[in-house]
Amino acid sequence: MRTTRTLNGVRYAAVLTVVVALTMITAPALAAGIEIVVGAPERVVVGQDVVVKVVLSQDGNPVEGAEVALTYQASVAGESGRVELASATTDVTGTALIVYQQRADDNREMQIVYLGPDTDPVAPFTFTIDVAGDGTQLYVTESGLRIPFLNGTVVILVISGVWVLIALSAIYLVRVGREGRQSDKASRETGSIWISFVLATVTIVTAAGMVIVFVRAPVSNTHITDPDGYDRTIVNYVDVSYPYEGFGLNNASAALTGDMNTDGGTLYFQFACGACHGLTGQGAVVGPALIGEIGSFGTFSEDIREGPKGMPAYGEETISDEELEKIYRFLDDGG
Amino acid sequence: MDTLTNWRERLITRTTRPTLVTTYRYWLWLGFLVVIVGNGVFQYTRQLREGLYVTDMRDRISWGLYITAFVFFIGISHAGTLISAILRASKVSWRAPVTRIAEFITAVALIVGASFVLIDMGRPERIFNVYLHGRWQSPIMWDVMAITTYLAASIIYLYAPMIPDLGLYRDRLKNKVGPVRNFVYRTLALDWNGSPKQFKLLGKAIGIMMLIIIPIAVSVHTVVSWIFSMTLRVGWNTSIFGVLFVAGAIFSGVATLILVMAVLRKIYHWEEYLTQKHFLYLGYLLAAFGAFMVYVNINEYLTEGFKLEEAGEFAFRQLFIEDFAVMFWFYAIGGLLGPVVLMLIPKTRTIAGVVTAAILVDIAMFLERYFIVVTGLRVPLMPYEPANYAPTFVEWSIFIAGIAFFCLLITIAIKIFPMLAVWEMTEEHEYNCAREHPTEPLPTEFEKVAVAMPEKTLPDDESTTQGSAS
Repeated sequence: MRTTRTLNGVRYAAVLTVVVALTMITAPALAAGIEIVVGAPERVVVGQDVVVKVVLSQDGNPVEGAEVALTYQASVAGESGRVELASATTDVTGTALIVYQQRADDNREMQIVYLGPDTDPVAPFTFTIDVAGDGTQLYVTESGLRIPFLNGTVVILVISGVWVLIALSAIYLVRVGREGRQSDKASRETGSIWISFVLATVTIVTAAGMVIVFVRAPVSNTHITDPDGYDRTIVNYVDVSYPYEGFGLNNASAALTGDMNTDGGTLYFQFACGACHGLTGQGAVVGPALIGEIGSFGTFSEDIREGPKGMPAYGEETISDEELEKIYRFLDDGG
Repeated sequence: MDTLTNWRERLITRTTRPTLVTTYRYWLWLGFLVVIVGNGVFQYTRQLREGLYVTDMRDRISWGLYITAFVFFIGISHAGTLISAILRASKVSWRAPVTRIAEFITAVALIVGASFVLIDMGRPERIFNVYLHGRWQSPIMWDVMAITTYLAASIIYLYAPMIPDLGLYRDRLKNKVGPVRNFVYRTLALDWNGSPKQFKLLGKAIGIMMLIIIPIAVSVHTVVSWIFSMTLRVGWNTSIFGVLFVAGAIFSGVATLILVMAVLRKIYHWEEYLTQKHFLYLGYLLAAFGAFMVYVNINEYLTEGFKLEEAGEFAFRQLFIEDFAVMFWFYAIGGLLGPVVLMLIPKTRTIAGVVTAAILVDIAMFLERYFIVVTGLRVPLMPYEPANYAPTFVEWSIFIAGIAFFCLLITIAIKIFPMLAVWEMTEEHEYNCAREHPTEPLPTEFEKVAVAMPEKTLPDDESTTQGSAS
């Protein structure tokens, strides 16, 4: 029957719609299971102890014993990633208080990340905290030795003292000339004392220049004086440090994975090829591009062994033929 | 017996002779120097146009012959001022004929040495950044400071004691030299008339410079050594470098002074003033510093070599038995022990012996600077093979032009300035005479000044143009 069929079609459609709608509504809850709610101040100042309150719930019930971490986006030397500031564990009410000290002036995009024990993925909660300040930092590096009275001022005084004595000597010469004029009027047409004035002026101006160079020079780390005025290098402080595990890049076994391409990449770093040719062989100020312009293995090998156009030569004692082939494969495959 | 006046007139004649008499040999020599300097300038324009690629300096050995020349010439500059100031401050009785030449060497060597820093720069105009954005945490900055100070101080120290002699030249050579030199003497003599008041003021100026220039000179070469030793490079990273450089600077300075003295003595017949005694005393100074250098070297290499860290082994091997062994052992045996031996043997205790020692020392000290610069940079800091460095034609041309420029400046200065300190030598001679004839009373202060005072209205005397045909 046509009507029944139509009715059935409508019924199917309705049921499907309801199912889809329900799925859409409950999907995040079903997938994540755990919901994160964050309470944090909108604006803080440098030096403030900031408390971030995190509440975890699952189906309306508090989640106890879960570990959450506060991370922020950071970038150093062109590399960026998330740095963990602090972490805490939730109590019976599902609440965790994460405390950190705001140490530098940068507006950060913060994230609360669920770390476990549940292994299901939980979407992180992103928020921002505005930091008041004008580039100030709470801490600067303490490297360097502070010796009382031994600082830039002393250096400037010593230089000034030396130059005052030199200028004094030049001024005596001016007086020699003046004395000659006064005591012997007849020599007026023959002599002149302007040269001594020039000498004295040049000396004094150079002296002032020397001192100005010193006074203008900013103070930086590894200084022997007070770090006031330090404003060059930004120092990032991270509360939690991760002990490094594993072996160094320079470890010979790092290039023995069995995969020619991977090993070649490691060797490319080990022999510091990237120092001139760019980290991915793309070429840089000193060394030309290698990717896509590598040529045959024969010429490549010859170049490495002999070092063309000021490039250092690498003999077999340094880079073996086998290693050379791996590097070649790495570069030939496009870095 | 030679009267004091005769003695003094003869001295004036001898001193002014280079200014008044110019032989064809002088022009030949001048032309030769100009050609060499010209080639250096031409090669430098090539370097400016094509960049430092025309040298053999690369990323690993980035300092070479230019920095060697810089250290070498700054070292030579110590000849001068330091020796002259120390001798003056300690009132050594034989110093007067030596000081002026020493002071000239200082000023000239400083100018040449400092220009090698500019030559070493691929972009020399960036030298202004040192003044505009200088940071005094950098040893390079200390060097700029020290050398600027030293240059200013040594120019004043050269100039101040020369004023009475310039006054003498102004009066004596008025009708004998052209308008340019007349103008120079008139201007530089500062209305000198030799009054006691002027002598007193001049004495104050010289006294200040004499005392201040000794610490300045020591600081200059210490700071030059710090450019190397403030880094963590094997071979450079040592606290003895300051001592080694200062001692080496005085060592090569004395040697250069001896050489310049010997040449001038020969050409201008100054045997009466630059006597064997002067050469021998300077030779003893050379031997003493040679012995001290041996001590400093043993101190340095034994303390490092006894422990011999990994990279030190490489540094020592290249220095003692491999690439740089010939240079090193020539330096150690020929340059350091050589002068000591030459001064110990009575037969070689002559002017020729002293000059031989001086030549050995200058060559050895140049080699020392070269291997310090190059071997320090040659020790690999990463697992690659040691780089090699051999100065190119451009580098040699500019280096030799530097030496030629040094000679050229002195050659020109001889034509203009009094190379012997007439008033100081007269004073010294007076005292020596009085000591030899104690029956005569010592001259009073007034008499001394009167003798040193240039006569203003002296007629053209024939003696100044006689005996000058060579």
